[in-house]
Amino acid sequence: MTAVLDPHLIPLRSARRIQLSELTKRDRVVRGFLLVAAIIPTAALAFLAYQMLKSAYPAIVFNGWHFFTSKSFDLGNQYGSGVEVHDGYKAPAGAHYGILSLLFGTLVSSLIALLLAVPVSVAGAILLVEKLPRFLQSTLGVFLELLAGIPSVIYGLWGVYTLGPLFSRTVYKWIAALHIPWLRGPTGAGEGLLSASIVLAIMIIPIIASITRELVRGVPAISKEGAVALGLTPSETVRTVTLPYIRSGVIAAAILGWARALGETIAVLIISGNALGVYPKSIFDAFTTMAATIAALLDSALTDTTHMATAALAEVGLVLLAFTLITNFAGRLVARRFSDAGLPVGRGV
Amino acid sequence: MAMQPAVNARVSRRRRLKDWAFWAAGGVAFILIVAPAISIIVSVVHQALPALGWSLFTQRTNGIGLQNAILGSLLLLAGVAIIAGSIGISAGVYLAEFATGRSEKVLRFFSEVLAGMPSIVIGYIAYVSLVVSFKWGYSLLAALIALSVLITPYIIKTTEVALRQLPTTLREGAAGLGMSRTSTLGRVLIPAALPAIMSGFTVALAISTGELAPLLFTAGFTDQNPNLKFFHQQVPYLTNVIYTDLSLPGKRAHATAAAAGMLSLVILIILIIIARIIAGFSRRRTARMTV
Amino acid sequence: MILAAVAALALAACGSSNKSSSSTTTATTAPSSSPTSSSTNGTVNMNIGNPSSSTTVTEAGSSLLYPYLQLLVSPLHSAYSNVTLAPAAGGSGKGISDTIAGTVNVGGSDAYLSNSEFAANPGLMNVPIAVSSQAVNYNLPGITNLKLTGNVLAEIYQGKITKWNDSAITALNPGVNLPDKTIVPVRRVDSSGDTFIFTSFLSATNATWSSGPAFGTTVTWPAVSSEVTASGNPGMVQTCHATPGCIAYIGISAESSALSAGLGEAELQNKAGNYVQPNQTTVESAVNAGATSLPSNLAAPLIYEPGAQSYPIVNFEYIIVKSSQPSSNLAMAIRTFLAFSISPTGGSAPAFLAKNQFVALPQSVVPLSESAIAKISG
Repeated sequence: MTAVLDPHLIPLRSARRIQLSELTKRDRVVRGFLLVAAIIPTAALAFLAYQMLKSAYPAIVFNGWHFFTSKSFDLGNQYGSGVEVHDGYKAPAGAHYGILSLLFGTLVSSLIALLLAVPVSVAGAILLVEKLPRFLQSTLGVFLELLAGIPSVIYGLWGVYTLGPLFSRTVYKWIAALHIPWLRGPTGAGEGLLSASIVLAIMIIPIIASITRELVRGVPAISKEGAVALGLTPSETVRTVTLPYIRSGVIAAAILGWARALGETIAVLIISGNALGVYPKSIFDAFTTMAATIAALLDSALTDTTHMATAALAEVGLVLLAFTLITNFAGRLVARRFSDAGLPVGRGV
Repeated sequence: MAMQPAVNARVSRRRRLKDWAFWAAGGVAFILIVAPAISIIVSVVHQALPALGWSLFTQRTNGIGLQNAILGSLLLLAGVAIIAGSIGISAGVYLAEFATGRSEKVLRFFSEVLAGMPSIVIGYIAYVSLVVSFKWGYSLLAALIALSVLITPYIIKTTEVALRQLPTTLREGAAGLGMSRTSTLGRVLIPAALPAIMSGFTVALAISTGELAPLLFTAGFTDQNPNLKFFHQQVPYLTNVIYTDLSLPGKRAHATAAAAGMLSLVILIILIIIARIIAGFSRRRTARMTV
Repeated sequence: MILAAVAALALAACGSSNKSSSSTTTATTAPSSSPTSSSTNGTVNMNIGNPSSSTTVTEAGSSLLYPYLQLLVSPLHSAYSNVTLAPAAGGSGKGISDTIAGTVNVGGSDAYLSNSEFAANPGLMNVPIAVSSQAVNYNLPGITNLKLTGNVLAEIYQGKITKWNDSAITALNPGVNLPDKTIVPVRRVDSSGDTFIFTSFLSATNATWSSGPAFGTTVTWPAVSSEVTASGNPGMVQTCHATPGCIAYIGISAESSALSAGLGEAELQNKAGNYVQPNQTTVESAVNAGATSLPSNLAAPLIYEPGAQSYPIVNFEYIIVKSSQPSSNLAMAIRTFLAFSISPTGGSAPAFLAKNQFVALPQSVVPLSESAIAKISG
């Protein structure tokens, strides 16, 4: 599988200049078609952004800043009488929307997933490229692609029926016995923050590992030969040559994995325990995320005749999207700052 | 290529131990990657065993089969391949070969923003706009659009990277011969980049076969075989069967749902193998081409 | 190019109405089992029969009702060859919202429509077609016929009672050896009619619950640290089966799989103070008590009804449908489906209902459903 590298890291200036001669008529026509295709994602994005804002607007007005300072998320009493009115928008009696518990769940689960996935992916990928014979490498490459494509609903069900029960009786109990704050408590039946984070980690490992694999393959032979000539052991070579070289690429890969973890819906829905409006008191407790909440509550929200519930979920979606973008671009900046070790020796020749 | 000289006898014991520990850690990581995959595949196949048989292909979900779901998943796959493939590859080629300056940066930026959209958000918006507002109902087109929006940015990116990674000598050679852009693209660049493009394309398709969130609110479901009606016709698909298994009674239904999971994996494996075969062909062609 | 074709189709098809399926010929239909323009029950003329061309009625919603509808497809099609029912599950909330949005023709729901839903959607109806109930099951091997009250259940689901040998439970069950085990309450995560009727019961028996979470297809469940979630009734059965010490509310159509999974069925205290389990007698007693005072829109709970033998968690199974349909064929197909389901020779034959532990509508309610059915037109 080809690495999904950041195009910015691959300079093309010199090559492009060669071809900036005039375009023939056929070239212009082809370019026209291709341009239409290239504009479509932008048009789709504009459409999506517009629809999201339009759907969320009533909730944005109704909730105001309380959305970001409150942790309870309550759809209100649709069968009760009475309707709340605030700033001209109606909502069911008792409705109150706050995103803090969702934000907390999303962030913590994705963070733990990343912390688990990155070391495992990098170590595994390095082992794969540096130690294993060629034919095993391509078999295991297929394996990684397989892992990447397993439907998330299968991951979720496997998590809740296989991983959860197994771990809650063994690994979790060992962790709880260490009596570290927040890492102790009833280990439950397997649904909860730690189980969901582990499943998320397993889901994002293929992404990070396959990109890392390509990056490791791309380390120039010259540098490695130099290390060997200096008498470094293979692991020292990895530590001094390979790791710095791939560092920014790994960060870029981690960002892709992070984005996937943030937006993962179905697997989290099945294994999280769906505890709305509370912070998990321990790592084994139930929780919920922004994406899972949208999926879980959408059907009920649609029966809300004031339409405030669907607007609130749209607002949750907006925050999720904003979050994904911010961390995406922040991470990209971090990656660029670390890309000093990237000598393009051996690339493109 | 692995670069593994023998660890010299003069290397200190401590360093050799560190070396050994490092590779052991790699081995552990490796097992941690492989074990869940094996566990998932084994448990899915094990649970699917009671349902395996010809009836899976001859009966539909109103009976004990999956015929309609299989056909629906394949139909969605074909549709997404056409829509997302044509748009994605075209856009990727444009960004790599024709775009310049500001428009290039802007178009690429928005494509990457789109890549960050969570799938549930895409599904929700598709529901609110296409299914309800445009009155298409649960429909094939709504489902195809939602899935395509999800994976097109990925195809754009891999296509663009594939073209950028080509050796500059290829372009220099074509320019030297006075070839037009289109000819260069069609005869030199795309054939050379094809393994990478196809690989990215196939992975994107593979991801789409496992998606559920965008389809939940756009495709609906039905016990009947899918047809080519674009609107007001619900579309069955395999991942839905897995998911709704939880709401269906009976041991047989559970096995059928696991069988649906297994078939999803089978389609996935087939796609991966196809990608590798294409990569193999094109690599041999390129090897002959490159000087 | 493909893009142009897609765009053209998109523009052309906005707002197209829900026509009957395209793969038909003008069928010379076999004679239907009842004359085309009279009712099956002789009191209300519902105008049912075979529509002029093959029509599919799509349904989504309640997972309690789903097994019943799945069984109904075949006999309905045999009786009326141009009517095909296509049911799906997804939860009662989905059934209601999909019907309102028009993405399915009818919805299945254990929950009746709220006043605001009626007000916002004139012409939307909830038509009772059967009576069902809900059991409270638990995973305590060896303990059968545990006695519980709604008040105790509410406290369990609020986290106030956490162990099976809590004094509140042992007081109700003298002589039963209850273990010192943590109670694991299981609840539905999808928008569920079962949640609706269970929380209605909790609201009727516990004041804190009534003023707090109250009732609905989705409620804000109090945080209980051992609580787990499940999707659909079979999901509840599976999860409870896998979790020792669990307690779950499970729709009656899943009762046989719950019992064969080794779960016990609780005896719930009814309004008269007696402890009863759900069966034909206790359910009928409840619905007969409740049917004496139904509102005209048929949106009525049958929770905690009076009567020495009444089971406290009983509900109507509703089909949510709009009275105005886009085509006369579709309207005919829907009326026929509904009439067939309440007909004592069709979907309400006692043997047929018994397959899912449902009970027929009381005689006093049948004409009310029939009048509602007669209002569907297209």
